[in-house]
Amino acid sequence: MIRALLLAAFAVLLVSLGAGCGEGPTKIVFWHAYRGDEEAALIKLTKDYEAEHKVTVELLSVPFDAYAAKLEAAVPHAHGPDAFIDAHERLGSHLQNKLVAPIGDALPEKDVASFEPVSMKAITIANVRYAVPLSEKCIALYLNEDLVPKTPRTIEELAALPVPKGSYPIVYEAGTPFYHAPFLSAFGAGMLTADGQFGMVGPGAEDSLRLVAGWQKNGLLPEEPSGALVKELFSTGKANAAISGPWLAGDLGSMKFRVEPLPLVGKTGQRMRPLLTVEGAFLTPGGSKREDVRAFVRYLGGKQASIVRATVGKQVVANKQAWEEPALQKDNVLLAFHAAAKDAEPMPTSTAMRATWVPAQEAIRKVLRGDAEPKAALEEARARFLDALKPPPPPPSPTPLFLVCGLVLAGLAFLMVKRVREPGFRAELRRGRGAYAYVLHAAAIVLLLVVLPLVVGALTSFFAGTRDQPQYVGLSNYTSILTARGGDLLGHGSFYLTLLVTVLWTICNIALHVGIGVLLGVLLSRQWLKLRAIYRVLLIIPWAVPNYVTSLAWKGMFHRQFGAINAILKALGAEPVSFFSHWSTAFAANVATNVWLGFPFMMVVTLGALTSIPKEVLEAAEVDGATRWQRFRHVTLPLLLPNMLPAVVLGTVWTFNMFNVVFLVSGGEPDGTTDILVSEAYRWAFTRNSQYGYAAAYAVIIMGLLFVMTRMLGRLTPKDVEKGEH
Amino acid sequence: MTETRLQAQRIVKAFGNNPILRGVDVSLQKGEFGVLVGPSGCGKSTLLRIVAGLEEVSSGTIEIAGRDVTELPPKDRDIAMVFQSYALYPHLTVRENLAFGLTLRKTPPAEIAKRVTEASEMLGLEKLLERLPKQLSGGQRQRVAMGRAIVRRPKLFLFDEPLSNLDAALRAEVRVTIRNLHDRLDATTLYVTHDQVEAMTLGDKLWVLNGGKVEQTGAPLDVYARPRTLFVAAFLGSPKMNLVNVAVVHQGNSVLAEGQGVRTPIPSPRFGTLAKGMEATLGIRPHDVHIAGEGRELSCTLLVEFVEALGFEAYVHGKTLSDTGEGDAKLVVRLDAEHGRRVKVGEKVPLSFDPAHIHLFDKKTEIALDDKATE
Ligand SMILES: Nc1ncnc2c1ncn2[C@@H]1O[C@H](COP(=O)(O)OP(=O)(O)OP(=O)(O)O)[C@@H](O)[C@H]1O
Ligand SMILES: [Mg+2]
Repeated sequence: MIRALLLAAFAVLLVSLGAGCGEGPTKIVFWHAYRGDEEAALIKLTKDYEAEHKVTVELLSVPFDAYAAKLEAAVPHAHGPDAFIDAHERLGSHLQNKLVAPIGDALPEKDVASFEPVSMKAITIANVRYAVPLSEKCIALYLNEDLVPKTPRTIEELAALPVPKGSYPIVYEAGTPFYHAPFLSAFGAGMLTADGQFGMVGPGAEDSLRLVAGWQKNGLLPEEPSGALVKELFSTGKANAAISGPWLAGDLGSMKFRVEPLPLVGKTGQRMRPLLTVEGAFLTPGGSKREDVRAFVRYLGGKQASIVRATVGKQVVANKQAWEEPALQKDNVLLAFHAAAKDAEPMPTSTAMRATWVPAQEAIRKVLRGDAEPKAALEEARARFLDALKPPPPPPSPTPLFLVCGLVLAGLAFLMVKRVREPGFRAELRRGRGAYAYVLHAAAIVLLLVVLPLVVGALTSFFAGTRDQPQYVGLSNYTSILTARGGDLLGHGSFYLTLLVTVLWTICNIALHVGIGVLLGVLLSRQWLKLRAIYRVLLIIPWAVPNYVTSLAWKGMFHRQFGAINAILKALGAEPVSFFSHWSTAFAANVATNVWLGFPFMMVVTLGALTSIPKEVLEAAEVDGATRWQRFRHVTLPLLLPNMLPAVVLGTVWTFNMFNVVFLVSGGEPDGTTDILVSEAYRWAFTRNSQYGYAAAYAVIIMGLLFVMTRMLGRLTPKDVEKGEH
Repeated sequence: MTETRLQAQRIVKAFGNNPILRGVDVSLQKGEFGVLVGPSGCGKSTLLRIVAGLEEVSSGTIEIAGRDVTELPPKDRDIAMVFQSYALYPHLTVRENLAFGLTLRKTPPAEIAKRVTEASEMLGLEKLLERLPKQLSGGQRQRVAMGRAIVRRPKLFLFDEPLSNLDAALRAEVRVTIRNLHDRLDATTLYVTHDQVEAMTLGDKLWVLNGGKVEQTGAPLDVYARPRTLFVAAFLGSPKMNLVNVAVVHQGNSVLAEGQGVRTPIPSPRFGTLAKGMEATLGIRPHDVHIAGEGRELSCTLLVEFVEALGFEAYVHGKTLSDTGEGDAKLVVRLDAEHGRRVKVGEKVPLSFDPAHIHLFDKKTEIALDDKATE
């Protein structure tokens, strides 16, 4: 049996080795994250290339969300692609992780002139070029041809055009830094300075915020605009103009519109320069050594391929020569974005850029809501940026860690030796051999899938820095969290404030889950209620729908201007509420969503627990003189609740860690104050300079808290209450 | 002074299309102890629950202490009920269980304490007051259930087979307790059981229910002595009454019952005139059969199949020897210990039926032919 297995394994190994080296260097593995037209163009190009040259190109479309993670996981172990398409702003991080190599003769010196200078700038770091620029993506101004026949010279003039009630002169995602960046540039500021510092400070940045906050105040901008809202308003003629990217054009159908580069800001006389993303073909260190790979990449950026990408893939190609093609000269939208890109500002490649988004967004939204003056908001944003980028503390001596680990191991060894020495141990072991065989695979799987990740996660929390250059920092992640990073103990984003919010969040939710669940469960168990089975199914539905779907739906319902809830309030004559502008309403919106998601579980548990209450006990109470309410209050409830305790413990853990709802409904708004511990941990890992160690420390603390909490809840079980007696 | 405590009239109850009670009348005077018996599923519990208000009647009326309570919920009927499973509140101590009904009625605490003490003394629960039901034995739980009824001092006590979960010895003991309590409290009680001994010994009044109707009612001993129907005759008494298919035979001046190997005289004044050849079922209880001889006339000969010796008496099981071909009848006979010891399996024993205790039932209607029972 075992020999057969070994043989099989050996065979598999041979085959895979054969596949690995047999075909040799004629196969090119190429990754991208394209969909739709862009993917179609790439496939066509690849086919053409394969037909002409004697190579196979294996295209792999990787989902965008997982793209960077997959690259980081695969390339260093030579499992990944030979070359891949990615946005240039990831270059800094890719270099740090050694995922890319200089482009070499895939972009020879003589070809440099045929690419847009701005895209060349984007893929160059310290005079070394790292990619063949393929396409350029930036935002531009969409104008409704019927409403705005003549383009105003400045954005202020555009904003001042008269519009009917319910319409807007201009719509864009005002609360998003990416869309605010063009305003910054017109005022002489930026997201990041050349030396990697937070650029959104100073009078220019403040003025840019004042300008849009003034519009918001005067109702010239819709509130809480999302991409979907921008599309809806513009495509239905409720907005004169929209600021958006090429993706909007595809959704406008037969509407008459034109696209132009962003206008001037009248106040400064400067043009609004959007952030530019250049998509380029990068070579991995392995791929860069292969002539065939370089040739393929060179081909993708060439004139003919660019024409295909522009016509089939609707890309704003970076190759200047392609634009001479007559077919391209007819596509006005493409031309407009091409023009816009010439003036755009390449997104900084520095990894510090990633740490700017969240503080900038929080500051912009605060100012738009009128909660803060621009200067104060931006100062705060800079402080948060600096905090996120704070270098890890000097590595402490690892001796204490080794000491602790050593002691633990020694202790375990001692216990093991003691156990082995015990009389009868061997006999027992022999007797239990069969049993061990049964649990062995389960134990191994648990070890592999549960214990190991847990241990790795816990160990991560002792490190700071990126994944490739982890730096041992001892317990400093923990001390930093527990001392609120040296700030106010209940200050913005401090662990204790978040903990407080989390605890409040959990209590509110569990109370409502149990309250509503028990109420409905008891109602549904009543014999006199007709159509009980139907109600039961209907009430379980919220539970059956994936929680992110529900969360997104509820977020839409809470929208200030277009949400169902405000529509109802309006119909009732009440003032509309900006749910995500105030802590209390944002928190309530989160709770409402999660209650909707969570009560069916408690209801089902109640229905189950109710069957364990003997009918005669209730009848005895009835004979004893109890009214319906008294029977519920004095008999059903006290017998029900102990049975619900396990469900409450479970629900508490789920709610405590209910990331989806918080992240998707309020997203921490306003100003990160509705974040709970897990969503805060997420922000440290994914929006604040990839501080995985710090996030891991959060996770360990959360686990500890949950452990303590579960134990405490377990204590509550009244040991002497039993379900029934017979 | 008599006062009607319970008057349930023409009670009809159906679950869906399934009639369970078909016009039952039950009434109790103050201080009376009424017992409902009947085979399993005949509707005893249903009737009790209707009286308690836990079940609605399909038609009929219920009066408790002169008040029409047919439409009232249990809490307004002033009754207390002891359930078969005791139905104690598992989360409350014995004391709280006892006080529950009083607390709900906002009885002053001092009064509650007094009544709880009283009841727990009566039932010997003083030491158990702080325990939870699950810390009690079955008998203790049963007493708590009774205590819970007693403290309420209701107009009417209802018991639904309260002793069926206890072992035999305890059952005998608690049976006596219940009757004593009833008398001490001058209570009015309606008690459901299917235990023969409880039915006979506890009550002042007995109702035998069958098929949703009252077959017979009266003082337990009367019912036992003069069952009005074949069903009652067979239902009451343990071991069961022996039944033999007979025909009436006139022989000279005397009237005889003959069949299945039995031939025994019928005391004519008791049964009046019985037509010759009339078919009937003869019933005789095991202890009314004796060994023939010494002035006792032979009624049949028993082929002994099995002897149950209980020490102070013996039950002999066997069949009659019949030569007429109608088949033989199974009989059980009680003998004293002395005789019982002598009887051997396979032996033929001559038997005599005590003519004074012979019962005759019409073959078709199954109603007793006994004049006095038919009145
Ligand atoms: N809620 C109900 N729905 C339908 N049928 C019922 C219901 N309760 C009782 N029955 C039926 O009514 C009949 C009488 O039931 P009941 O419990 O009164 O019998 P019982 O005389 O107490 O029998 P036992 O000696 O076994 O306790 C049974 O056939 C039972 O199946
Ligand atoms: Mg019953």
